[in-house]
Amino acid sequence: MSANPSSPNDLKLLPPPPQQQPSDPSRPAAPAGGATAISVSSSAPRQLADLPRDELHTLAEEFGLEPRRFKSPQDLVSAIHARRQFIASLDREALLDVVRWGRRPVPINATNEQLAHEILRIKSMRFDGLSERGLVTLARMRGVEVGNDDPVPMVVKKLKKKESFFTRLNRKRRAILGSIVSNMIGEDDKSAEYQFLPPADGAGSAGAAPASISTTTASAGARDRTIKEEIEESGLFGGIASRVKKTADQYINQKLDEIESRIDRKLDEIDRRLAEWRDKEIANRIRILKITLWASVIVAALSLVYSYLKVYFPGMFGTSAKDRTTINRVEPNR
Amino acid sequence: MTEPDPFRFFRLTVAWIATIYATVITVQSLWGWVVYLSGNDKYMTMVRRYLIVHALRLRFKAFWGDVIVCILLCVAFFLLYRLHEVLVPGA
Repeated sequence: MSANPSSPNDLKLLPPPPQQQPSDPSRPAAPAGGATAISVSSSAPRQLADLPRDELHTLAEEFGLEPRRFKSPQDLVSAIHARRQFIASLDREALLDVVRWGRRPVPINATNEQLAHEILRIKSMRFDGLSERGLVTLARMRGVEVGNDDPVPMVVKKLKKKESFFTRLNRKRRAILGSIVSNMIGEDDKSAEYQFLPPADGAGSAGAAPASISTTTASAGARDRTIKEEIEESGLFGGIASRVKKTADQYINQKLDEIESRIDRKLDEIDRRLAEWRDKEIANRIRILKITLWASVIVAALSLVYSYLKVYFPGMFGTSAKDRTTINRVEPNR
Repeated sequence: MTEPDPFRFFRLTVAWIATIYATVITVQSLWGWVVYLSGNDKYMTMVRRYLIVHALRLRFKAFWGDVIVCILLCVAFFLLYRLHEVLVPGA
């Protein structure tokens, strides 16, 4: 939400989105973008109705609605609620297809609403690389009435028809500008595979993430956008800023990777040295033990020789007769 | 009065003084390690795990020569002790 509450105590929470239903192919498309196209629910949520008008407008715009079309705040609240229900009913895999195609930065466990917010920011009209289900979902998100069985060219045609004249004109102008800039700076056709952001804690349903991970690498048509396409979608400054930001991100990522690998190398070195120190220390202790044992054995042997001489040659040490009686001579066996 | 026996003196010295000294030093050191490693903070847990990992990584093959020599020396010492007892009972 873009509007911040004036104080933390005044924070008004939105109602939780309704339980996500599996997509029903027979369900008619719920068009958006106009008051007439939305089936208004009978009971608007209380917390949503408490929001100030400007926040409601911002929220409506985030959901792809045009707030000026609604006369009263109640209508707007009902439309937002209906829109949320519609988004919750969309096929998650199809939404992920659109996100991958549009190369929007979202975590893998993003909710349907988060995905929808990102999709609504995509203004591109180049649909190459988008799956059929993604195209249908995008069309529905843009307020185009399409069925699941509609052929792709027809859906594309309806989408282009939905685009207003001035929007198309601006897009063409930006495309020409983009091609000029692209020719000036020279575009290398590097295509990197789309990657989701790291999963955010508490965002989205946990069960949805593993199923989506398998599809992450399966994006056949997802490719890096050219500067021409970026300028066409975001304008000259927006496109160039986006490209500069992307380049800076790549540079930072590369540097971070280098730092990470350097730290890894250092840790390995520390680990190796510790292992060496441990081996050396244990070898040292064993050597000390061995020297002690050698000394003990040598002294024990000398002691035995001394006792032997004392027993068998008592004259050498001047042993008294009394002591001699206590000595146990070892007689040879007969 | 019995004659002074240097080997008996050596045995007594080793048996009492050196053994007690070594035992006290060893127990003191072990107790110090136990107190140091029984901390509950996460870094101490990491140190404990690291020590366990290092202990598991230890290879007997690196020291087997010295260990075998030590075992043989212990056996030799025990045999000498028994032989001495047979030769001079009660010594």
